[in-house]
Parts: sequence; C-alpha cells; structure tokens
Amino acid sequence: MTPDRNTQPSAPASGTAVPCLEIDALTVLRGQRLVIDRLTHRQNRGELCILTGANGAGKSTLLRSIAERLPAESGHIKCHLPRVYIGHADGLAGAISGRKNLQSWAAVNDIMVTGADIEQALAGFDAARFADMPVQLLSRGQRRRLALARLLLAPAPSLWLLDEPNTGLDQDNQTRLETAIAAHLLAGGAVMAATHIEMARSAATIHLAIGL
Amino acid sequence: MRPFIAQISRDLDIAWQNRQDVVVMLGFFIIIIALFPLAIGPKSAMLQSLGIPMIWIAALLSSLNGFDRLFAQDVRDGWLDQISLSALGLGWYAVAKAVSHWLTASLPLLLITPILALMLNIATTKLPALMTALLVGTMALTLLGIIGAALAEGARRSSALIAILVLPLAVPVLIFGALAAATDDGIISPHLMLLGAMLALLLAMAPLVAATALKIGETESGI
Repeated sequence: MTPDRNTQPSAPASGTAVPCLEIDALTVLRGQRLVIDRLTHRQNRGELCILTGANGAGKSTLLRSIAERLPAESGHIKCHLPRVYIGHADGLAGAISGRKNLQSWAAVNDIMVTGADIEQALAGFDAARFADMPVQLLSRGQRRRLALARLLLAPAPSLWLLDEPNTGLDQDNQTRLETAIAAHLLAGGAVMAATHIEMARSAATIHLAIGL
Repeated sequence: MRPFIAQISRDLDIAWQNRQDVVVMLGFFIIIIALFPLAIGPKSAMLQSLGIPMIWIAALLSSLNGFDRLFAQDVRDGWLDQISLSALGLGWYAVAKAVSHWLTASLPLLLITPILALMLNIATTKLPALMTALLVGTMALTLLGIIGAALAEGARRSSALIAILVLPLAVPVLIFGALAAATDDGIISPHLMLLGAMLALLLAMAPLVAATALKIGETESGI
C-alpha cells in the first residue's frame, strides 16, 4: 500500500456507512491475564470512537492490538484504511531534530512529502518554532505536538489510533487537536481514541466501554 | 527501497549525533590489541603467529558492544510501534539496522586494522586475506548480533544475555575467519568460501528471526 497524501478522499455519502474497522471476537492476553474478552466492534468512516474505561481496563491494549503491536489470542481485526498510531511513547529520536524525525517517518511510510507539507504539519500544532532543536531538549508537551504533527502528514483517509493524545498539551493545542480530528472525520477518516478528557462531541461519536 | 534508505539514513544521523560512542569502541579495540604484546612479550615470532587471532578476538568483543542499544532505543522511543505499521516492515527494518550498525561499528574497525597489523608485525602480504576475511566475518557477526539483540530485547541486563546468546554462535565465524585470514594460498581460500556461506545463510535467517522476535516481544509497558 503506497498511500499518496494528495488523493482526494471520497467523502462518505450521508446515510451509507463505509466500514473501515471490523473487530470480531477479539481476545487479548497480557502476560497471563485476560484483558480483552471477545470484543466485537464496527466502525465506519467519519466516526469518532472514544474508548471509555478505568485505568488498566485495556484501552491501550486494544489500540496496540489494532496497531499490530500485540498479538491477539483469538479473533480478527480487519482494517480497510492506513493506520496511524500515537501511543504513550512519541516515536521521536532524541538525538535528531523534530523536522528530521517527521521526514524520516514520512519516508519509512513511503509518503511523498515536500518541505511545504512538513511546514504545514508543524504549523498545525504550532511546532515550527522548535522543530530544528534536538528532540531531547524539548518539553513533554512539545514532543507530543511533534508526534501529533504526524497525523497531518498521514495519507488522507486513514484511521487514527490515539492513546491519551492530549497528555501534556496546553489548552491551545488541545483545541488544535480537536480541530484536526473534526477536519479528519469530515474528510472521511476515522478516529479511535482513549482519553479521559472531554473532546468536542459530534453526532458521529460512539462510545466503547472497555473492561471486564 | 525509499523506506529502507530512509531508515538507514535516520540511524546514521543518530549515530553521528552520538559519535563519541564510536570513538569509545575504537579505543577499546585498540587497547585490547595493544595489551596483548605487553602480556606476551616482544618475541616477534610469537606475535606473528598470534597477531591474526588477536585481531579477530578484539573485533568480536568490540562489535558485541552496542548491540544492547540497537533496538532498545527504538523501543523506548516508540519508533518500533511506528515501524510495525509502516511500509518498511520489521524484516527490512532489521536489515536496515544491521547495515547501519555495520557502517558505524565495524567499518571503523576495518579501517584501523592495517595500522594495528603493522603494530603486531603481521606481514603486509597477509593483509589482503586478513582484510577480506574480516570484511565478510564482521558482516556475519553483525547479523548474529541482530538476532541476539532482538531476542534479548526487553530483558534486564540484556548486554550480558546478548553475549551469552551470540558468542557460542560466533564460534564458526571465528574459526573460519581466523583460518581464512592466516592462509597462505591467496585471498580466496576454502575457509573464506565457508565464511561466505555462513554470511549468506545468516542474511536469509537473521531478518526473519529478528522480525519475529520483535513482533512477539512485549515491548511497551502500560495497559
């Protein structure tokens, strides 16, 4: 799959649901402990799914399973869109600059980006000011903004898997994140997020309770 | 191909920022080799026969150093999470890691070896065979190290574990490498061919084993 970020997304026609994520009877063990027990879930393009549940209920486990970082014990996950995962770790190398981190991320995903695309993604989270500093000198929130800028580089219809995306973000950048999510959903993408913080709600929000 | 090149250039970028690591490893290599003559004494006949094995052992020990950080950094940063969803895939990622590790850890050793060989009074006529054998041998050792590093990823005291995993497997490389380097019948000896066969086998196996180990390894904590 070679995603081209300039492809115009086919906007989801109102009324017809386009499934992008199908999970069937997913069971995941963590160590010897059963964390997710026969979970079935359907998500369409244009939908935001908020995972709810207490700490340790298995929200991150579910996201990591969909991101292919945890093998499932049984069940199937079918995903029809390219996935972008933002986990607890930002996926940034400390020794090199944020800009280089973004460029290499785009390159390993075989996404063609120009310098202007990178600038635009950085501007989306107001990160251009510190994008040339080594990441290890940046604060928690600044790193998170660089990690989130990846979302804006990703191919247009995609599934965003966000694990506590607003950790360390200030109020302005939480608003930017919500704006980015809203625009992404309108363009036919989908989002699954684990967050304890209220996000702006829209009609297409579904809640999925996790936990045994 | 672009994702593969991008991963290598990213690793080289990071290695350049941490270039003191390479200097430390080179220093370690030079010191090991410089210590041997002090212990053995200045008898040149003995030094000549021991010189090539010494270079091999020093190269083996100093290339082990650094494997514990090979994947650990990427796991901690969350880069591995990004790779497993990327167009690159874990197998090619492991090959890219091997290439960049060889370029930053083994190539400097190879470059400095002629000078050390001079110090150990190894005849210059033996140098081409020694260098060829080291070139093939260090590549094979790097691939072994990739396997060890991927298997030991996430374990406590992973550097000791990697040494225990890799050193026994490195025995054939050491045997045929030292034989190929000390041979008198030209550069292309049967020993070198066997060494090359081992490299070919490892080239096919190491990415598969490393990718599987990285895929099933529980990596990031937190549920």
